[in-house]
Amino acid sequence: MMRELSVLDLAYLVIAMRWTVLLTLLALVGGSTIGLLVAAAGASRQAPLRHLARAYVGAVQGIPLLAWLFIFYFGLAILGYNVPPWVAATVGYSVYAGAFLGEIWRGALVSIPKTQWEAALSIGLSYAEQLRYVIIPQAVRVAIPPTVGFIVQLIKNTSLAAVIGFVELTREGQLTTAATFQPFAVYLIVATLYFCLCYPLARYSRQLEGRLRVIR
Amino acid sequence: MSFVELKSVVKRYGQHTVLQDVSLTVERGEIIAIIGRSGSGKSTLLRCINGLEPVQAGEVWVDGVAVHDPASDMRALRAHVGIVFQSFNLFPHLTVERNITLGPTIVKGVSKSDAAILARDALRKVGLEEKIGAFADQLSGGQQQRVAIARSLAMAPNIMLFDEITSALDPELVGEVLLVLEAMARDGMTMLLVTHEMNFARRVAHRVVFMNQGRVWEQGPSSEFFASPKTEELKSFLSSVLH
Repeated sequence: MMRELSVLDLAYLVIAMRWTVLLTLLALVGGSTIGLLVAAAGASRQAPLRHLARAYVGAVQGIPLLAWLFIFYFGLAILGYNVPPWVAATVGYSVYAGAFLGEIWRGALVSIPKTQWEAALSIGLSYAEQLRYVIIPQAVRVAIPPTVGFIVQLIKNTSLAAVIGFVELTREGQLTTAATFQPFAVYLIVATLYFCLCYPLARYSRQLEGRLRVIR
Repeated sequence: MSFVELKSVVKRYGQHTVLQDVSLTVERGEIIAIIGRSGSGKSTLLRCINGLEPVQAGEVWVDGVAVHDPASDMRALRAHVGIVFQSFNLFPHLTVERNITLGPTIVKGVSKSDAAILARDALRKVGLEEKIGAFADQLSGGQQQRVAIARSLAMAPNIMLFDEITSALDPELVGEVLLVLEAMARDGMTMLLVTHEMNFARRVAHRVVFMNQGRVWEQGPSSEFFASPKTEELKSFLSSVLH
């Protein structure tokens, strides 16, 4: 049965945004945890750890996000674990975000010149103190703009979770379209809502780039 | 035992030998200038003294600490051996004050208020008290280098190592940094300077060491050193830099 597109549909779409935001936040929590480990391993002095980090990043970056989602959703089901879509999505996006954040943060760590380590070492700081007081504060400043940039990508990419039945903004758009058969109007609204989430972040990221005091 | 003793030090990077059987002693209060062509090993020599570069053979003793022994407490040693680099290496995310107080508060456990006094004193010695709240990128090269010297001084070092600290400066900024060094010399600081400033070396150093091909090629009191070089290599080096 078909019906008109109403204000109520708009309200449903706006409400569905919270699942987009929630999935992004969950992916950020999981992704940051994995990303910190990947960055630490990738910038480590131990060659095996660096190889491990590189292999992980390579695997995630070399396989489409969509494939990862299918692997976690259908793959786990085959193994006998029937996971709800939101669990599969959270795990899939965490794995994905972990690789990209890890690579961004590793890059930020190794971008701090060796001379900064030496200067910190020369006033007697231990390895941990060099990291804490000199290297990480500078690396964070380097990492913030690309990290915010990646979060924008992440928000948009959560739309892929629709294919495993996770009802977020895009999936809600599909459902509304099915009921109203007005795809153009519905997806225009969906696109606008994504824009409202992403644009301020993208602006903020660009602002930060100009403001942070680091070695250039 | 002398304050600093290097005994037959060998330093290699892979197949490349940078220091070949280098021996050198430095007494307390002595000021030594180290000169030589680039690649002669003079900077490496300096970096071996505070353990920034591990040595492959020989012994490095500083104030009774065996720097060549990985088991030695390098943290305690570095708190008393100051080093200033060619490229300043200030911490760009911290104010001048925090650049200076970081070492005393964390390594020596000095209180924040005492460290602030240390910072002020150190900045007064280099003539930059008014820059206490500035960041590195707001300072000229000469000012940054003076802050770097203050950062070392605040640790109350027994010896200061200077690695070509005026080489990255515009010519008109070299003088202000050399003035700071001269004041430290008058205060009796033990100093090792790798430098290209021959006039400064002649005037301020007690002894000059000429490095060539990774060896201490020739050394002597600065009064005689420049006037009557003994080896052909030093003669040709001096004629090329003194034009």
